[in-house]
Amino acid sequence: MAEETRIHYGEELEQLEASGLGGLDLASAALGRTLEVVEQQDVELAQLVIADDDRIDGRYLEVHQALITLLATQSPVATDLRLISAMLHILKNVERMGDQCVNICKMIPLTGNEPPADEEMIRLILTMGKQARTLISQSKRAFEERDVEMARDLVRLDDVVDNLNRECFGLALEIGDDPDRREWAMTMLLAARAIERIGDNAVDIGEQVAFVVTGLFREFEDASHPDG
Amino acid sequence: MARDESKARTGRQSREDAAARAGIAVRPDQFQQHAAGRREKVFELKGVGVRYGGVPAVKEISMDVHRNDVTALIGPSGCGKSTLLRCLNRMNDLIPGAEVEGSLLYHGEDLYGSKVDPVQARKMIGMVFQKPNPFPKSIYDNIAFGPRILGRKENLDETVENALKGAALWDEAKDRLDANAFGLSGGQQQRLCIARCIAVQPDTILMDEPCSALDPISTGKIEDLMIELKKQFSIVIVTHNMQQAARVSDRTAFLMVELDADEDNRWGRLVEYDETEKIFTNPADSRTEDYVSGKVG
Repeated sequence: MAEETRIHYGEELEQLEASGLGGLDLASAALGRTLEVVEQQDVELAQLVIADDDRIDGRYLEVHQALITLLATQSPVATDLRLISAMLHILKNVERMGDQCVNICKMIPLTGNEPPADEEMIRLILTMGKQARTLISQSKRAFEERDVEMARDLVRLDDVVDNLNRECFGLALEIGDDPDRREWAMTMLLAARAIERIGDNAVDIGEQVAFVVTGLFREFEDASHPDG
Repeated sequence: MARDESKARTGRQSREDAAARAGIAVRPDQFQQHAAGRREKVFELKGVGVRYGGVPAVKEISMDVHRNDVTALIGPSGCGKSTLLRCLNRMNDLIPGAEVEGSLLYHGEDLYGSKVDPVQARKMIGMVFQKPNPFPKSIYDNIAFGPRILGRKENLDETVENALKGAALWDEAKDRLDANAFGLSGGQQQRLCIARCIAVQPDTILMDEPCSALDPISTGKIEDLMIELKKQFSIVIVTHNMQQAARVSDRTAFLMVELDADEDNRWGRLVEYDETEKIFTNPADSRTEDYVSGKVG
C-alpha cells in the first residue's frame, strides 16, 4: 500500500551528506600535511596547504547552497530537517578546521629556516595533531552511523588534546630566557591552540549527531558552566 | 548496511535509549511545555469509530481537542480525516447507514446523547467545506441567514458587519453588501462562508480542506484568519497540505489507512497526536515521519 516516494530528494540528501562529510576527509588531510609542515619546517608545503584550503571552502559553498535549495524547494521536516540543520552546522565546523590549518601554516614560515626548536614541544604538537585527526575521523563515522555513544566519546578523545595543549603551555613557560626561543615557543603555542580548536570543532560535530538522532540539542560540555 | 539500519531507528524509544546511554537527559515534556496549564477540552474522544453500512471507516480514535487551539487532522486519502471531522458536529447523522461508536464528549457532555439535538449542536459547532458554498443570495443575506433562522433579528446590520470583519472580508465587501455572493472570488467566497459560520456565534469551527480550491494568496489570507479566529473559537481543520498544518495548527493528529488481512476492507486509525512542532521536527512514530516528510503516500 505505502509506496515510497520522493526518491530523488532522498538520494540528493544522501549525496549531500556524503559530500559534506567528505569535507572532513579534506580537513583531516590538510591537518596531516600541516603536521608535516610543523615537523619538517616545510615552508613550501605550508604554501600548498594554504592554497588547498580553497577546496575545503569550495566544498562548504557547494554543499551549503545545495542544502539551502533543498530547504526552499522540498520543505524538509522531521529527521530530514534535523539532518539539514546539522549539516549546515557541521559544514561551518569543517570550514573552521581548514582555516585553523591555514593559520598554522601561515605562522611556521615566520619562525625562520632553522628555528630554535624544542623537540619535546614538537613531539607534543604532533601527538595533539594525530589525536585531533582521530577526533575528525571518529566524528565523521559517528555522524554516518548516527551513533550517539561514539559521538559522546569524542569528549574523552578531546580531553587528551586539551591536556597536551596545557603541557605545551607548561613547556613554553620553562623555555628559558633566549628571545628567539621564546618567540618560537609563543608561535608553537598558537599552533597548539589551533589544533585544540580543531578538536573542539569535532566535538561540536558529535553534538550535532546527538541532535539528528534524538531531536534534542545539548552541549556535551558547557565551557561556561563546567560543573553543570 | 549498518548505516541504513541505524538511520531507520527513528522511534521515540530508540532515540531515548541512545540519548540515555550517551548521558543526555531527555525531557519528553520538552515539546509540551505549553501543555501545562492548558485550556479546557472542547472534545474528548475515546475509542470513537465510524461505520458506513457496517463497514468501518475509522476505528478507535482517542484524542482531546483543546479550546482556542487549531487542531489539524492529516493523513493520506481514505484515512478517515473527513469522516472523523464530521463526527464532531454530527454531520454523519445525515448519511444513511452511518453509525458512530465510542464516546465523544463535547464540553464534557455526550454529543451523541439522547437529549442532544443535532441541529442545536451544529449551531455551536460550525463547518466550512472544501468548496465555497455561498447561497445564491446577496452577501448580506448570506450572513444574515443563520441569525434570522435563529430569530436573532435585532442588530442584524451589526451582526453582519462583525461577522464580515471577523472573517477579514469587511473592507472588500462593505460597499457591495447587496451584490450577489457568487460575484466574489473563490477566496472571498470561502471567507464569506467563514463569516456565515461565525455569524451564528459558534464556539468551534470545523474546516474540511478549506483552502484546497484556493490560490496561494487566498490561502494565505484564510491561514492568517485562522490565527485570528482561534482567539475566539476552537478550530479543527482537515488538510492535505502538510505545510499548512505546520503553519497554522497547534496540535496535529496523523491518521493512516489500515487494511484487513484480505485487504478487502480499509479504515483509518490515529497513529500520532501531539504538538505540531513535535510532529514536524521530531515525530515519535516512524510512520508519521515517513508521511510528513512525504516519503510514503
